[in-house]
Amino acid sequence: MIRVAGIADKMAKNQKQIAISEFFEKNKHFLGFDSLQRSVITAVKEAVDNSLDACEEARILPEIKVKISKIDSNKDILELQTEDNGPGIPQKSIEKVFGQLLFGSRFHAIRQSRGQQGIGITGVVMYSQLTTGKPTHVISKIASDPTAVSVNIGLDTRKNKAVKSDQTRIIWENDDQTMKEHGLRVTTRMKAKYQRGRQSVFQYLRMTSIVNPHAEITFTDPDGETFHWPRVTERLPSKVDAIKPHPHGIELGQLQRMCRESSDSRMTVFLRQNFSGVSMRAAKELCEAAELEITTKPKSLKPDDVRALLEAFQGEREVNGKAIKLLSPPTNCLSPIEEMLIKKGLSKTIDSKFVATMTRAPTVSHGNPFQVEVGLIFGEGMVADKHVEVLRFANRVPLMYQQGGCLLTKAIESVDWRQYGLEQAGGKGVPKGPAAILVHLASTNVQFTSEAKEALSDNEFVFEETRRAMLEMGRGLRKHLEKKKKMAKTREKFELINDILPAIAEKSASILERPVPDLAGSITKIMSAVICNESTTWNKETKQVDVSITLFNYTSRSRSYSLLVNWPEKSGGEMVGNERGGRKEAMGIWGWKIETLEPGEKAVLEYSLSNLEKGDWTETEVFFRGSQDVIGATKLDEKMLVEIRKQEEILNQSDAPAEEGDANVTYEPGVVEGDSGQTTLFGGEN
Amino acid sequence: MARVNDPELTKARLHLVVEEMYDRIVKGEPPTMTLPVRTKNNIGFDKKLGVYKYGKKRSTRDATSLGSAKNLLRALHVVEFIEEMIEAGKSSTLREMYYISESWGLGKFGSQNESNNLAEDLEVVTTCLREDFKLRPEEDGARMIGNVTIEELNRRGQWMTINARDDVGDSGYGVPYNVEIEKIRLKEHDVNFLMAIETGGMFDRLVENGFDEEYNCGLIHLKGQPARSTRRIMKRMNEEWDLPVIVFLDGDPWSFRIFASIAYGAIKTAHISEYLATPSASYLGITADDILAYDLPSDELSKKDIEALNAELSDPRFADGWWQDQINMMLEIGKKAEQQSLAKYGLDFVTDTYLPEKLGEMGLA
Repeated sequence: MIRVAGIADKMAKNQKQIAISEFFEKNKHFLGFDSLQRSVITAVKEAVDNSLDACEEARILPEIKVKISKIDSNKDILELQTEDNGPGIPQKSIEKVFGQLLFGSRFHAIRQSRGQQGIGITGVVMYSQLTTGKPTHVISKIASDPTAVSVNIGLDTRKNKAVKSDQTRIIWENDDQTMKEHGLRVTTRMKAKYQRGRQSVFQYLRMTSIVNPHAEITFTDPDGETFHWPRVTERLPSKVDAIKPHPHGIELGQLQRMCRESSDSRMTVFLRQNFSGVSMRAAKELCEAAELEITTKPKSLKPDDVRALLEAFQGEREVNGKAIKLLSPPTNCLSPIEEMLIKKGLSKTIDSKFVATMTRAPTVSHGNPFQVEVGLIFGEGMVADKHVEVLRFANRVPLMYQQGGCLLTKAIESVDWRQYGLEQAGGKGVPKGPAAILVHLASTNVQFTSEAKEALSDNEFVFEETRRAMLEMGRGLRKHLEKKKKMAKTREKFELINDILPAIAEKSASILERPVPDLAGSITKIMSAVICNESTTWNKETKQVDVSITLFNYTSRSRSYSLLVNWPEKSGGEMVGNERGGRKEAMGIWGWKIETLEPGEKAVLEYSLSNLEKGDWTETEVFFRGSQDVIGATKLDEKMLVEIRKQEEILNQSDAPAEEGDANVTYEPGVVEGDSGQTTLFGGEN
Repeated sequence: MARVNDPELTKARLHLVVEEMYDRIVKGEPPTMTLPVRTKNNIGFDKKLGVYKYGKKRSTRDATSLGSAKNLLRALHVVEFIEEMIEAGKSSTLREMYYISESWGLGKFGSQNESNNLAEDLEVVTTCLREDFKLRPEEDGARMIGNVTIEELNRRGQWMTINARDDVGDSGYGVPYNVEIEKIRLKEHDVNFLMAIETGGMFDRLVENGFDEEYNCGLIHLKGQPARSTRRIMKRMNEEWDLPVIVFLDGDPWSFRIFASIAYGAIKTAHISEYLATPSASYLGITADDILAYDLPSDELSKKDIEALNAELSDPRFADGWWQDQINMMLEIGKKAEQQSLAKYGLDFVTDTYLPEKLGEMGLA
């Protein structure tokens, strides 16, 4: 028997050894190491995601350097080096971080984080070792140590443990010979192929820089060419709070584990303290529905009890014929990039005239808070006859594969873009045109179609939110194109009266040998309109946005108008040097009265916007109140103004601290809250 | 209309165009240029002249859009340019004028089409001819073979006598761009009729087969849509020598248009139709009948062909019964055929069979 046991033990050990490398081999598709081209992207991804997450947690503005070099082209051996200025990893934790599968502090916490992909950096260490036999070299420095640790990490696949070697402490200097305060450098060699194009390290880093505008990223490719994506904001993403799971979003296994690990003395305490959205009343009702005593210890629940509890959670068990009402989970656990920063991120990588962005209000699907953000960039510089570039992100992580099967792509495809000025065969599919569309889903629980984690699975609520945001983008684009067309027409008219008409007058006078006639009358007849010219420009010297609006009266009667403009009041902009005064009409809307404008006269409104950065505000929309149409301005929709004012009120109210446990605020499972009241100046035609 | 041939009168008429613009500005109105509408909706049959002329519809080009304002400015530059040429005793081609416009700043032409159209506009408005404006076309005239003798004034100022059968090679006599009396005199001939031919291939076939001598006729190669000088010299021979003009073209909608421009006047040059058109010209073929009767190799009508045929149905120049029948028949059979498809029956078929039969029907053979 002992003999047998010994063999079994040995077999088990062997099995484990086989299991881990086999596990890797069998799952390399999910782990992102299924092809030589993809392996290097995955490796960069794991390292960079870790760096960004670590910097964010430590509240450090990230500086990330990535360098890929060819070591042996014949055998496709690449060296990848990534370096950050993050907090570093304490010496004793290095082997855990780099050498253990499923290590991570985020295993239980429910919050938005990047690191939901693959098995993390350990996978990279393992892949390197399996393909080159070489360990991964790590230098780590934490602020409190005077020196850095330098160590080689390999893997003992038999024991699923890291193997350290050549560990020393070194002095780590920056290029300029100053001491590196803190940071991490990982150098590893692997069998991999570097490629360019849509699925490349370059594209991954470019996309990463778009959604991480606070990061400074430098990339040196195998040809020695260096790319640099600068930091465009000093603002770190807001710190996200971990939230407790919501009963609507929990699965049986998780619930069983939570019960098993609970040390609570009674069910009501367990329910209220381990879940979000559960009030005292709801806790009691849940127990009642599941036919559990309030005083039962959660640890002692039998499998059937747990199942019953889950059914109560999901509304399948009722009390008095009603599902138990639960509060919405809090949404402050989400960290959207936010409109202005998406705009900056997009603008720095793509040169263009028009950028529209939108961050939808956070909402909930199946107990999971989520938030959709979209951006649309349009401009002459981009390729016009190809499909628009779709930039997909989940929790700030670029999604680069399986575009067609992704929910976010489907939401884009569901919009008839033709009405917004893009080409689209049959009004379906990804549109064509000189544009790029960005979609970002922030959620505590991102659902993918497969373990490869490259495409989001269908979810009608996320779909609907994304689609709505797309429609809004589309309306913005249409407005922009219409305005551009109008402006072009206006420019033509000005060319006509400023250049061509005087030339006609002079030439005809010279041929006939007569005096050059006065043009005023002809000009009024030709223009026969009131024309508004707007210019919004960044003033380098004053670091302000200068706005100038000129209203010309080229009609034969005197006119009177109110002119209104939009301005970035909500984003903290300040209006200065506005000598004509006027008044605030609503949040972000300023107005002036122009009493009389005689034929041939013009009125000029000038002001500057301070407290903004370059690129924050590039286009001012001008509205008018008055009977005669104004070319270059939009007739004010009074309903829109009322709507903005209403929004403002709601906003002010919701700024007040919400009372905890307000039993009146309930929510129905799986119902997206209304329009979330997001009306912009582009109006509410859905 | 006739030749003005008087520099002062030409200038005075051009000044009227300039004055219209100037006076409008003085009155506080946008400057304008008024001219007849130059589309098929504004051509009508002039009974006295027997050709189609522009009707009474006039359009006003006013400077309320950038495009037409630029057009007015260009017109002024052209007027000035013509005056300069008249005074300096020079002339230029339309193409040269297009290039000269490079220095006209805001008034420069965007394409040669624009400069050609503007020259025609000015002809129409002033009722002068472009020869009065000292503007020459780029287009080259026809080739002609047959026992016809003309006198042409050469560069050295000498009158040369040329017989278009005996004094020329196989390519025939080249018709110059100016065929007016000061340049070309029609001396004598011994032919019974003139035959205008669309394609070079067919012209060469008839020459090689000696058709001009056998049937005692003059052959003229039109080179597609005939140039003004080609139409003008046919008109002169028709009028001065009383020669019938027979037109032998491909059988498709575009050839019908060529015929219309020869016989009734082209829409673009309807202001000088009586000067270019030969109302008595007759269409020999290829007709829609021929395609069926001779079972000619044919092509399907394209979408554009069908559009063109339908447009011709409402074109006043094709309003008579014979043409309506031909056009409708072509639409019905949905086919078109080239002149050279007659080669189906051998190289001599056209001269031995087809033309004698057709001319016989017309009483010419």
